[in-house]
Amino acid sequence: MSSLLKLIQNENMKIYYRIGTWVMVILLLIAVIGMGIFVKTTSDENDNWQVAVQTDIKRLQAQKEKTESFKFMNEEVLKSYDRQIEIKEYRLANNIPPLPADSFWGFINESSNLTSFVTLFTIVIAAGMVASEFSWGTIKLLLIRPVSRSKILLSKYLSTLLFAFSLLAVLFLSSALTGGLLFGFDSVSQPHLTYTDGAVKEVGMLQNMIGIYGLNSVDLVILSTFAFMMSSVFRSSSLAIGLSIFLMFIGPQISNLLRNYEWSKYILFANTNLRQYIDGIPFMEGMTMTFSISVLIGYFVIFVSLSWLAFTKRDVTA
Amino acid sequence: MMRKNEPIVQIKNLSKKINNKTIIDDLSFELFPGEVYGFLGPNGAGKTTTIRMMVGLMEATKGQVFIKGQSIQKDFKNAIAEVGGIVENPEMYKFLSGYKNLVHYSRMVKGVSKERIDQVVQLVGLENRIHEKVKNYSLGMRQRLGLAQALLHSPSLLILDEPTNGLDPSGIHEIRNYLRKIAHEDGVSVLVSSHLLSEMEMMCDRIAIIQNGKLIDVQTVDDFVGRDLQVKGRFTVVPVDKAKTILETAYQDKKIEVKEDIIALDIEKEDVPAVVSLLVKNDIRIYSVQANAMTLEEKFLEVTGGNQIV
Repeated sequence: MSSLLKLIQNENMKIYYRIGTWVMVILLLIAVIGMGIFVKTTSDENDNWQVAVQTDIKRLQAQKEKTESFKFMNEEVLKSYDRQIEIKEYRLANNIPPLPADSFWGFINESSNLTSFVTLFTIVIAAGMVASEFSWGTIKLLLIRPVSRSKILLSKYLSTLLFAFSLLAVLFLSSALTGGLLFGFDSVSQPHLTYTDGAVKEVGMLQNMIGIYGLNSVDLVILSTFAFMMSSVFRSSSLAIGLSIFLMFIGPQISNLLRNYEWSKYILFANTNLRQYIDGIPFMEGMTMTFSISVLIGYFVIFVSLSWLAFTKRDVTA
Repeated sequence: MMRKNEPIVQIKNLSKKINNKTIIDDLSFELFPGEVYGFLGPNGAGKTTTIRMMVGLMEATKGQVFIKGQSIQKDFKNAIAEVGGIVENPEMYKFLSGYKNLVHYSRMVKGVSKERIDQVVQLVGLENRIHEKVKNYSLGMRQRLGLAQALLHSPSLLILDEPTNGLDPSGIHEIRNYLRKIAHEDGVSVLVSSHLLSEMEMMCDRIAIIQNGKLIDVQTVDDFVGRDLQVKGRFTVVPVDKAKTILETAYQDKKIEVKEDIIALDIEKEDVPAVVSLLVKNDIRIYSVQANAMTLEEKFLEVTGGNQIV
């Protein structure tokens, strides 16, 4: 076990002693701060939130009626409208204002959208994890040690995940700090409203945020694993980066285009967004959280197996 | 030569086929403790492929590699623990310092202390530059760092591909002496592949010639070069035609070449006086006699049928 820790230490050294890694961390910080300044300068002072919420409710009701008049209406869409309306009515009844983007939690919520930056940067690291050793030629010295190839691969994969979560932590903490400094900590104790088991409930905001970041990291982990697999199979980091980023941007669109086919629910990107089961509309009627998690585990096993086969069974000719 | 009973390396009928093309064909040889073994062959002969199979980077199609009696295929960890090496170029992590590179490899084996790292750094003469990034190193310094990482865990077998590549003459001299020293004093087996033939002559105890994936010949350097036995005799004589006729009758099995007024033939060193007196007896005037030992290169070209070595 300690030898695995030493290998992870090695991999971390190889990640963090490169300037490129720190450039990515700094870019992420700039993105968070930039977003903070943007929100600060564009937010308009609106004291009367009750009026805004009431207008929202009216708008949602109108949309709901419109949807009901359609011949092929989606049950899930109607339910989603109901949920939103109920939450908003609860706000009015209990005097809980909605979170504006220019508040502490509101900003953290807003900057959770920057997880795609974290995913992008982690893809770059994951894609180089195996391939760079080949392009540097160092793989020949790395593999002639009394350590099995599987263990080396495992240490590389765990270091990739460690990088991913460290970057996610950087995102969370920097946006908390930026949010606090720019917008004050007034809204810290405000609860989050969810709709579970047919009723509106109040939950802690921190719990809610961890949930949002946790769900976002599903996408992060699966795409990083994909890039890692590409790196191991093709031994070329540019190919691995290219394909992974292409899929990251195009994947969701492609699965949307194929939505009419029953089998499209097995596409990876129809399942990566688990928030669809919590406060959204499922990709396809009948899909559940359990279904998506099973599909994700299936893809994960395939990615990991291919990485392992390519790394441990093939000759090193670099 | 120290030749203890148990071989460090046993290669048995090693073959490698890639896409039905035989790259290595039924190679067998042994390395004993304390010897420097040279791997000689033209480019593409299969030297590096053989080395890659010996260290488990490539899988053998057939045959086995044993290091200290442990199979590299079946007992990789124990077998490779005895091996230190450089495969092709000494490629290191350029963004790390030389020292960090050594720390990196020391974490992958058991029992390499900080003191051992310092000791190895001193051994290869890098103590002044070890904390600099490798990207600022010259090829010679990288070669030294490569040697340092190979020696870190005190292996029983040292495998070096072109170890003197990029070193200046004094560096070559140093490395050569060092390799001979660890072989002859510490009993380490050293496998060196090189196409610098003069280097091999000075460094190795035995030399194996590989061509087209086959082992053509293994000889000790002394036998191989035939320093004391076989010489290339050159006689500057007048008249040259008469001398040629005389020698052709006396040495019918030898190939005799004539170039201007020089007659050349390969003979035993012991026969040189006999040739001279034969020529004198027949009233041939001799202006000069040269009897040079054949260089390894000449011998190599002879054995491999004159294939170019790049």
